[in-house]
Amino acid sequence: MTDKIMIALKSIGKNKNRNFLTMLGIIIGIASVICILAIGDGFTHTVTKGMGSHDTRNKVTLQWESTSDYNTDGGFTANDASVLSKVPGVDRVKLASSIVEAGAKVQYKTKNISIGLNKQPKHLKLVKGTYFNMTGSSNGVYISEDLAHKLFKENAINRLISIDGTVFVVQGIYHIGDMNYRPDAYVSKQVFKDLFANQISKDQAKLYVQPNANKKQIGRTAVKRMKKMGEQKNIGKYSVSNPDAISKQFTRVLNDITYFIAFIAGISLLIAGIGVMNVMYITVSERRKEIGIRRAFGATSGDIRNQFLIESVVLCVIGGIIGIILGYILVAIINAFLPFKAVITAYALILSLSVSTAVGLIFGFIPSNKAAKSELVGLLKEE
Amino acid sequence: MLKVTDIGKTYGKFTVLQNIDLEVADGEFLAIMGPSGSGKSTLINILGLLDQSYTGEYLLESKSYKDVNDNELSQIRGDQLGFVFQNFKLLTTYNVYENIEIPLIYSKKKQSKKHEMVEDVIEKVGLTGKEKNRPAELSGGQQQRVAIARAIVNRPKLIIADEPTGALDSKTSKEIMEIFTKLNQAGTTIIMVTHDSEVANYAMRTVYIRDGRLYNDEKSVKNHD
Ligand SMILES: Nc1ncnc2c1ncn2[C@@H]1O[C@H](COP(=O)(O)OP(=O)(O)OP(=O)(O)O)[C@@H](O)[C@H]1O
Ligand SMILES: [Mg+2]
Repeated sequence: MTDKIMIALKSIGKNKNRNFLTMLGIIIGIASVICILAIGDGFTHTVTKGMGSHDTRNKVTLQWESTSDYNTDGGFTANDASVLSKVPGVDRVKLASSIVEAGAKVQYKTKNISIGLNKQPKHLKLVKGTYFNMTGSSNGVYISEDLAHKLFKENAINRLISIDGTVFVVQGIYHIGDMNYRPDAYVSKQVFKDLFANQISKDQAKLYVQPNANKKQIGRTAVKRMKKMGEQKNIGKYSVSNPDAISKQFTRVLNDITYFIAFIAGISLLIAGIGVMNVMYITVSERRKEIGIRRAFGATSGDIRNQFLIESVVLCVIGGIIGIILGYILVAIINAFLPFKAVITAYALILSLSVSTAVGLIFGFIPSNKAAKSELVGLLKEE
Repeated sequence: MLKVTDIGKTYGKFTVLQNIDLEVADGEFLAIMGPSGSGKSTLINILGLLDQSYTGEYLLESKSYKDVNDNELSQIRGDQLGFVFQNFKLLTTYNVYENIEIPLIYSKKKQSKKHEMVEDVIEKVGLTGKEKNRPAELSGGQQQRVAIARAIVNRPKLIIADEPTGALDSKTSKEIMEIFTKLNQAGTTIIMVTHDSEVANYAMRTVYIRDGRLYNDEKSVKNHD
């Protein structure tokens, strides 16, 4: 077999330029197959790893959603939490929120405005005033340019305003760009925790369940109990939120994209295959004399067919190997831009080489058969 | 060795060979002479099992190969026959060694044995040291030696040579014919086409073809004319 491959390599080497151009389609096709698989595998790997670290395995999350158009505030109360903790199989319950800012009312003289409010971030660019991390129960507040305009005509700095009945001193004003989202006001961490955090409605209840507990069953029981006893059952509805379903859906979208690119790769390989077929036809008709000589000295028509089939496969596999190398380079480049790491698996390599071999076999078959079936006397008249 | 009875061949309406009767004994050295286009190559292609579309009966070692499948035909060609073609018919991209090796690729022998056989015939035809040369780097006589080496590397019983000296000067022709004579003395049967009567003199017997008919001596050819 190795000597047959050597013969094939030799005659491919005779027409390096022509054969390289033919391989180009396979190189590109295989390189894109490698990239698709690397991105897909990398993504799946990251997602499944991420889900593992969040440990959704022993957790059931309940969701409260408002059914009122006017008031979206609401969720689980401390009483609800104690009801939920009594559901069989539940260890403990933690209330959480998918909303980050608190709602509050600002008052200045006769003006009364509803705003969203949060604890101050580490850094913030101000248009007026100086920014520093306020400690303890400092009564300083940073407000948006927009809110400042609504409250005062000018000179906002150091004015006193009342937020939900507590007096604050305006320390600085910041600008909210078109692309950014920011609340209307920031207070210190401690103050936010003491005065406002409890106002953020807890629309999520995380039930930590015992190992081996039936999560589906617990979820159903919990929802049933909340429908009966939940303190805000009248203005909202309860459901089990399922992170698995979300990632599943995401994976499905990714799969669709993968199939699409795979389709493109398939078309480029098809075109490459037609190129291979063409070059094999040319080779066969150029080498009629060689075929005649081999046949006269004992080659069967099967030997001739195999010789050209091997040549076609070797041509495609060389293209496939170059394509894999190109794929590695492309994946390294792509990884510089991706939020996750694309990985080339052994499966991707095996698939690429099998696809190259298949292209060689399929598209080399007809020309090789033509070579094998040519009439001997005619072949021996070639010079 | 072989026996031909009433062989004929036509291309459409054109008759190339008709009523050919010929018998060649084991160890014989036969020359076939005739003008260009008379059907010499056509006849020896049939004798060499290269052309199977003819009428009449052809027995090689008392066996007819008319209805034998391709694999068996290939095997007989590879093992028992050796061809020297008109115009050498060497592969220009292969070197001397690789050209001579071709018949061995399709035989089931050990690699070391094959190597030995190639080196053996290279020495026999006097091409030692030229193994790595391409045909383009050889003289016409040397190229014909390569072609002969290739024909005999498998130690065939029957060598079929079509104008082996056609492209060579008389001195080189003589050298080539000496190789043939030696092979024949060693027991190989040879059928050789030539248009050169001096070359034909190396053979034990000469037959003549005119317009597709075979004659056993020059007198009967003249009667035909
Ligand atoms: N494929 C073919 N179709 C039609 N006629 C053919 C074909 N092949 C050969 N012939 C004819 O058969 C005749 C004999 O050809 P052949 O090659 O046997 O001649 P030859 O005696 O070997 O001549 P030369 O000495 O020139 O080699 C010629 O007249 C040729 O035109
Ligand atoms: Mg001829």
